[in-house]
Amino acid sequence: MPPNCAAVARLLLRPSTATATATSCPLRAIRAASTLVRPPTSASPQTTPRSLSQSHPRPYHSTTHPPPPSPFTPTESAILSASYAHVPTHGFTPSSLALGARAAGYLDISTSIFPEGAFSLIKWHLYTQRTALAGKKDSIAGFESMSLTERVEALTWERLMGNGEVVGRWQEALAIMAQPTYVFASVKELAELADEIWYLAGDVSVDPTWYTKRASLSAIYAASELFMTNDRSPDFSETWHFLRRRLAEAGEIGDATRSVREWLSFTASAGVNVLRSKGVPI
Amino acid sequence: MAPTPLLLRSAAATSTPLRLTTSTARRLLSTTPQPAASTGTSTNETKPKLKPLTPSQKAFLSSALRVNQAGELAATLIYTSQTPPLLRREPHLRPLMSHMYEQEAAHLLTFNTLLAKHRVRPTALYPLWSVLATGLGWGTAMMGKEAAMACTEAVETEIGGHYNGQIRTLLEMVGQWEAEGYDVGEEFRELISTLRRIRDEELEHLDHAVEHDAQKAQPHWLLTGVIRAGCKGAIWVSERV
Repeated sequence: MPPNCAAVARLLLRPSTATATATSCPLRAIRAASTLVRPPTSASPQTTPRSLSQSHPRPYHSTTHPPPPSPFTPTESAILSASYAHVPTHGFTPSSLALGARAAGYLDISTSIFPEGAFSLIKWHLYTQRTALAGKKDSIAGFESMSLTERVEALTWERLMGNGEVVGRWQEALAIMAQPTYVFASVKELAELADEIWYLAGDVSVDPTWYTKRASLSAIYAASELFMTNDRSPDFSETWHFLRRRLAEAGEIGDATRSVREWLSFTASAGVNVLRSKGVPI
Repeated sequence: MAPTPLLLRSAAATSTPLRLTTSTARRLLSTTPQPAASTGTSTNETKPKLKPLTPSQKAFLSSALRVNQAGELAATLIYTSQTPPLLRREPHLRPLMSHMYEQEAAHLLTFNTLLAKHRVRPTALYPLWSVLATGLGWGTAMMGKEAAMACTEAVETEIGGHYNGQIRTLLEMVGQWEAEGYDVGEEFRELISTLRRIRDEELEHLDHAVEHDAQKAQPHWLLTGVIRAGCKGAIWVSERV
């Protein structure tokens, strides 16, 4: 009775508890039904690419059109958010994923929809924390009256506090992110975070400082994040001071380069004007 | 009594939807955008039905805005560096040069705002384009008035065609939405009308250049040929990086 078996298998993969009846079904039927929880593949052209690695980096952001869908399917989100609760005890590991799948009402085997294993859980953490920043912005006291650098500092701190719950496991996560397979996706996520912080802070510069701002913030954030994993001070006050010192240094470097550039351009234009006043035809 | 005229106006605006593809609407959008009609549709109780942008549409829009910003940056720098050597020999060109410069500066401001608003990254070769554009402007101005005008002619010819291509793609996009029964939001109406206005102003510069002896430059074919090829290359690169 293959059709019935498929129905049974589908029930198993739905949030339910019917486990005993599965024994008489051929494995094939269960496997076939398990494709139901897989993310849609190229067979359905209507759907947009789901994977984070396939999405375009920082493309045109429309202010009126509906935002693009989440890179996670509803099933993936359900399993990952349930797994995330187990991270403080079990870490960013396949066992957290399996526990989460069970808690969300799926079979342990359904974690096979995450070919990247524990890294999917890390990606979930990075994605949800990054997108949550826009909401946290409103809860920062006096955000509107802050200067641009103060806003960046406040937002970066909010993001670092997003690691608070899992900070005991964050070194493991950093080790996984540093693996050659995942380095590209991790760096891209870091770049998107820096872009998000500058955007939310209200920065509108669209010249070469666009790049230097994002690069320096990425470096500062990554360093502070690493510092935080060894910080045992109450409320991470050491990390707070570390972050402030790094941002102040970056500000000083920025001021110095700006002054040098200003001096150079002034000297050059003054030189050209002196030559013109002497009658040189330039 | 205050809400009555607003309701009437919004009803009037919805009963005759603006179609971007008709020739009458084209005049209207490129010359006198009507803010009254726009507020009427946006505050309407039925929210406009907008289609999510596909990844390829987003990629097109971000590369289009990026290349436009790079182009306007180059244009302002060309005119800035052309002006002093040119006015030394031809002081009567001062009003023309300042008029063209002011328009280009306004275009650059427009695209700077659009880039920041839509989170499009600027071109990574910003410093390179700055240096090349300054060199081009200064070099052609040193060669004389005719060469400077030929430079404007060549650049604006390329830019006019480039903007036309973008407007065409956008109209196809918008026409597709209309055919599928979606609304065209204010964001894209404004973008298309902005591009049309800028394109018209660029072509106006082309006319000014030809009126001021651009085609008497020697050798005209070589000068315009080289500059146009350079423009095409710069556009191709700026769309990508």
